[in-house]
Amino acid sequence: MTHRILVVDDDDALREMVGLVLSASGYAPVFASDGLSAVDVFKAQNPDLVLLDIMLPGQSGIEVCKSIRALSGVPIVMLTAKGDTDDVVAGLEAGADDYVVKPHNGAELIARIRARLRPISDEAITVQIGSLTLDPKTFEVKRGSHQLSLTPLEFKLLHTLAAKPQQVFSREMLLEQVWGYQYKADTRLVNVHVQRLRSKIEEDPENPKIVMTVRGHGYRAGSEIQ
Amino acid sequence: MISLFRRSLTARAVLTTVVLGGISVAIIGSFLSYSLANSFYQNRLSQVLTETERAVDSVQTTIAASSLTDETALQTLLNSVVPSLEIVGGSAPRQVALLRSPGQGQLQLFQSPISQNLDLRSIPDQLRQEVRNAPGRLTYTPVSLSEEQSDVPGITVGTPIAIPIAGDFELYLVYSLSAEQRALELVQNALAIGGLFLLALIAAASFFVTRRVVAPVEEAAEAAREISEGKLDKRLPETGQDIIATLASSFNKMAKSLQTQIERLDALSRMQRRFVSDVSHELRTPMTTIKLAGEVLFSNRSKLEPALSRSAELLQDQIERFDRLLSDLLEISRYDAGAIVPEFEVHDVKAVASAAIKSIEPLAKDRNTTLHLIAPEASVRAEIDARRIERLLRNLLSNAIEHGGGKDVTVEVGENLQAVAICVTDRGVGMNRNELERVFDRFWRADPARQRSVGGTGLGLAISKEDSALHRGWLQVWSKPKVGTSFRLTLPKTKDEVIANSPLPLPPRGLES
Repeated sequence: MTHRILVVDDDDALREMVGLVLSASGYAPVFASDGLSAVDVFKAQNPDLVLLDIMLPGQSGIEVCKSIRALSGVPIVMLTAKGDTDDVVAGLEAGADDYVVKPHNGAELIARIRARLRPISDEAITVQIGSLTLDPKTFEVKRGSHQLSLTPLEFKLLHTLAAKPQQVFSREMLLEQVWGYQYKADTRLVNVHVQRLRSKIEEDPENPKIVMTVRGHGYRAGSEIQ
Repeated sequence: MISLFRRSLTARAVLTTVVLGGISVAIIGSFLSYSLANSFYQNRLSQVLTETERAVDSVQTTIAASSLTDETALQTLLNSVVPSLEIVGGSAPRQVALLRSPGQGQLQLFQSPISQNLDLRSIPDQLRQEVRNAPGRLTYTPVSLSEEQSDVPGITVGTPIAIPIAGDFELYLVYSLSAEQRALELVQNALAIGGLFLLALIAAASFFVTRRVVAPVEEAAEAAREISEGKLDKRLPETGQDIIATLASSFNKMAKSLQTQIERLDALSRMQRRFVSDVSHELRTPMTTIKLAGEVLFSNRSKLEPALSRSAELLQDQIERFDRLLSDLLEISRYDAGAIVPEFEVHDVKAVASAAIKSIEPLAKDRNTTLHLIAPEASVRAEIDARRIERLLRNLLSNAIEHGGGKDVTVEVGENLQAVAICVTDRGVGMNRNELERVFDRFWRADPARQRSVGGTGLGLAISKEDSALHRGWLQVWSKPKVGTSFRLTLPKTKDEVIANSPLPLPPRGLES
């Protein structure tokens, strides 16, 4: 199956070039050149992944990210300028899964896309954590009969932690196992996503019972009851 | 005290004025006192001479009128002369002596009559001689009299007087000048008090005048200090139209032009930094496209004919170089803009050094260079931005490999209580003094003639310097031509600590000779 990828960038040449690179790697690119049309194209094309430039005329990339997130849990990879630290954090908080710094090369871009489109392993089993049940076949998280909506990345993050309860995962381990980074990457990815995950699954996100912080080391899945 | 005079212009000015004023007052006072004394004396003298003349006349008249026949009558007459001329007490007492000139036959029973309290020392012999040699005239001399246990000035006037039968006599009148002396002392006291008062007045006046002049100067000095510390909008108050006001207005003009200049330069420099940052930023999007396009061409070069294929290779190399340059430019422009936010965390510096070595290993292998890590057994922990320090070490290593001529490169890690240090040393061509001075300059290259293949941007060490400064650390270099080069990075163990000395020596052990 060919994955459809929405490329949102205001630079015509770059958009076309990214399209060429994606096509060469076997993806089917669709395009939007500004923030306003991006959401429409998203609704019309229903892509499997969104490549989103943060600096967009009209509606900013952050806003587009929020709009798409409101519609779907589809993986969103931001394109940012290096050093725009605030933009990176704002984008992640708006729901982006990962980011690539411009100017990037093709291999880097494809690696990020592959990691985000990689399905969760077939061997993954249904796990229980506290009052939550995670079913990797359907990407469903249930608290009793009540279903919680997580993005695939959030699901993967929670599943990774929950599969080995009580084991402490460092941020670097999570970057490798959840995001698929082979080398050192930005640990803020983990921090921001843990916050987002907690806000969805914890009854009191300020006082987490499921995803616990282990100071100075990382995170572990605790049990809500017991 | 001396230092006060050296420091305080006011103290110096007041002291000088008081000393000069004191000398003037003393001179004027002495002159006044002298001329007063003189005029008192002259007045009294003429009075005294008149009185004496009258007294002598009356004595001569008395003697002439009496018909002296025997010594007893003479003695009686003479005895009556003294009391008749004497003035006892009062403000101007007069004493009298009638002395017989020496060198005459002795008179029987005769006594020279003198005033009761008269001390004959007030009639000096020299005067008597002069009197005897000046018949018919008055001769006088100033003398010192004892009066109530103190010496007062006086005048002794004498004249020869001939008395029938008895022979030659000398009549002396001794006048006291105690009244004049008292008056003079009174005036002198008044002069002294007035002089002291005048001196105090001079001191006060000079103090106030000096303050008035010095205070604005001190204010100007203070303002200049503040301006030099960066308070460019500091100004002096401009009041009046005198020289002080001129000083203030000139000072303010200077400060204003300085401020304008600095602000202009500041704005220019901000604009320039902004420009570099904007240009670099704007270059990113086209750079991304070019990079992607270049890669596509490069990865498909086997499908191209040889000239096109080679072009694709060259294109790819130069795009990579351009990319590195752009990213370094961006980094340095962020430093220039003060937009760097370091992420300090406690890390094992040894591990960071190992990571840097590992990442540069392919280049080292390519250049047949062996990398050695010398480090303590235990971990060496410090609060650092590990990403930046690793980049810094990678840069030092890449330089060492490039200039090391294939000889071994050593990375030494050390620590003391406050600091950690990492020393990267090569044994290659080294640098001379001129080259050393410029080694951290932007876009400066050690040897422009030599072919570069590692592909540094010329910004590496400039960024490294900024990175170390961000950690409040030191990045120092030692080099000797044909011996080698050593860069030593010293970082405080906690980000707020100040380093006093480095745990590792520079030049490193074994390289100095």
